[in-house]
Amino acid sequence: MLTHREILSVLEMLENENLDVRTVTLGVSLLDCSSDSIKRLRTNIYDRITHVAQRLVKVCDQVGQKYGIPVVNKRISVSPIAVAAAPFGVEEMVAVAQTLDEAAKIVNVDFIGGFSALVEKGMAHGDRNLIDALPQALSSTQRVCASINLASSRAGINMDAVLLIAGKIKEAAKLSADHDGLACAKLCVFANIPQDVPFMAGAYLGIGEADVVINVGVSGPGVVKKAIDRAVESNPNMDLRQLSELIKRTAYKVTRAGELIGREVADQLGIGFGVVDLSLAPTPNVGDSVGEIFQSLGLRSIGVPGSTVALAMLNDAVKKGGAFASSNVGGLSGAFIPVSEDLNISKAAADGCLSIEKLEAMTSVCSVGLDMVAIPGDTTVETLAAIIADEMAIGMINKKTTAARIIPVPGKKAGDHAYFGGLLGESVIMPVNNASGGNLFIRRGGLIPSPIHSLTN
Amino acid sequence: MLNKYIITVLGKDRPGIIAKVTAELYTLSFNIEDVSQTILQGEFSGFFIVTGPDNITPDTLMEAFQRSTSELDLHFHIKEFAGKTSDWATCECETYVITTRGPDRKGLVAQVTAVLANHNVNVTQLQAVFRGGSEPGKNIMIYEVDVPLDIDQEKLRKAIQTKAAELDLRVSIQHKRIFEAINRI
Repeated sequence: MLTHREILSVLEMLENENLDVRTVTLGVSLLDCSSDSIKRLRTNIYDRITHVAQRLVKVCDQVGQKYGIPVVNKRISVSPIAVAAAPFGVEEMVAVAQTLDEAAKIVNVDFIGGFSALVEKGMAHGDRNLIDALPQALSSTQRVCASINLASSRAGINMDAVLLIAGKIKEAAKLSADHDGLACAKLCVFANIPQDVPFMAGAYLGIGEADVVINVGVSGPGVVKKAIDRAVESNPNMDLRQLSELIKRTAYKVTRAGELIGREVADQLGIGFGVVDLSLAPTPNVGDSVGEIFQSLGLRSIGVPGSTVALAMLNDAVKKGGAFASSNVGGLSGAFIPVSEDLNISKAAADGCLSIEKLEAMTSVCSVGLDMVAIPGDTTVETLAAIIADEMAIGMINKKTTAARIIPVPGKKAGDHAYFGGLLGESVIMPVNNASGGNLFIRRGGLIPSPIHSLTN
Repeated sequence: MLNKYIITVLGKDRPGIIAKVTAELYTLSFNIEDVSQTILQGEFSGFFIVTGPDNITPDTLMEAFQRSTSELDLHFHIKEFAGKTSDWATCECETYVITTRGPDRKGLVAQVTAVLANHNVNVTQLQAVFRGGSEPGKNIMIYEVDVPLDIDQEKLRKAIQTKAAELDLRVSIQHKRIFEAINRI
């Protein structure tokens, strides 16, 4: 028998704390779509996606209604297109992106991820063509997301690819200049990319995954914030051990909801269940912010001294609670700090409390990286590459995932505003050190060798 | 052959009610098969299913209770257990939790449960959680219900939502499993 406290606490989380399932992502392998004809390949890809995913949105909505917890986004991740379309050239790669876009529209998912390549140790023919196709592919489609893995703890950092991709980011920004470089918001570069991320823009279906799989991304920054607020109100002297325990318990609840819904969607679609990604994912809405959690914990704003340690505690507590709640955890699993997608973080950037350097430091203790960071449009390719390489180094050395999703906003300078719209939000353009300078270190290129895996200080 | 009885006990709550009632059952060689009790606004209500010797009738039992609990001012009702479960209990169901929130008024439960009854939905738990008193939004009723698998769930949902809107109530209808998943290990 349920107690009324149990029932009311769930209703409170739903109505006032923005509890939802942020994404149910259907992974679809495209490796058996291969053909020597681009036309045939595109048809195969379109047919496969529209066939497998035709009931996805409907089932997610039904299950969401059954439990009273909405599945906000339904998405698809596919095998890396650099592999699935390996024999083809740049123009054909763009055509494949357009096919993905059309399939996504038909099945009514908001994003499809997997226009991806894994180049941490070297670039194959297909990888290179996919990277060259990125600017055109991302600016001529709405729903396609791309990811490139540039580094790993096992392989090192492919600095040639880092410099190449920085150039492509600039080109993509230019091609979508009318929308403040929106195309770049759909491209995420990684160190140690997981094969099962359900969140965009990094979602793709890894080569080691099954034919089809359901992965779930939970949310819940609002739930964590309100839990902290309530606890601190009733006991203003709560110490950090107690707050960490509270966050852990709250993360447990949020994860349980995501796992239940993900498993039921998978069952109803007759597809295996993959993982729950335990990430605190914000949206640009009041009360759904990771930045606000920092203030509830007692910091003036995210970005001030103390932010890295607060994030470390938050991230670890979320993982502990979530790992206990779910039998299969994967993806990024941690707190996201995307600047433009989080009202509070973007305000901290505008107020000058948060700099790119502090963001970078914080990414060493959280799940993602420099995410949705708008920088001046005149930032040089070499400086952009250097920012990315720094972020890759944090991931490589610390054996964790890091990523960069940076938008050099054309025609805008530090302090101006960029508007991306919807979930992608808006942000002040953050100043960049040496924005217009060159960088000989980056120009040298080559592969930075994989790090030593002992002597771990 | 054993007799099986259903006994209900009502009275002002205080220490010793269950002790007296069960002591009497023990003296008369009755075994308690099932028991449940609740307290609302200081009023005790107990519900026992017992088996005992076939020479003890409900009347004998009643007299024994009245004699031994006279100072507690309790009311008893005793009847023979019918045995067979109703047809309804055999249908396949899923358990949902319906919560209504909004201004308290007469007939609210009657109207909501009428909709449920029309759809063959059985209420298994009903709790009134009146928090806040004067604050109308805080008046809450929680119904735990068994919904037969073979009915049109969408139609039921719509009917409940329409009724709730008429009554100025916010309503949520959620499968019970979500509450268990979130709150329990």
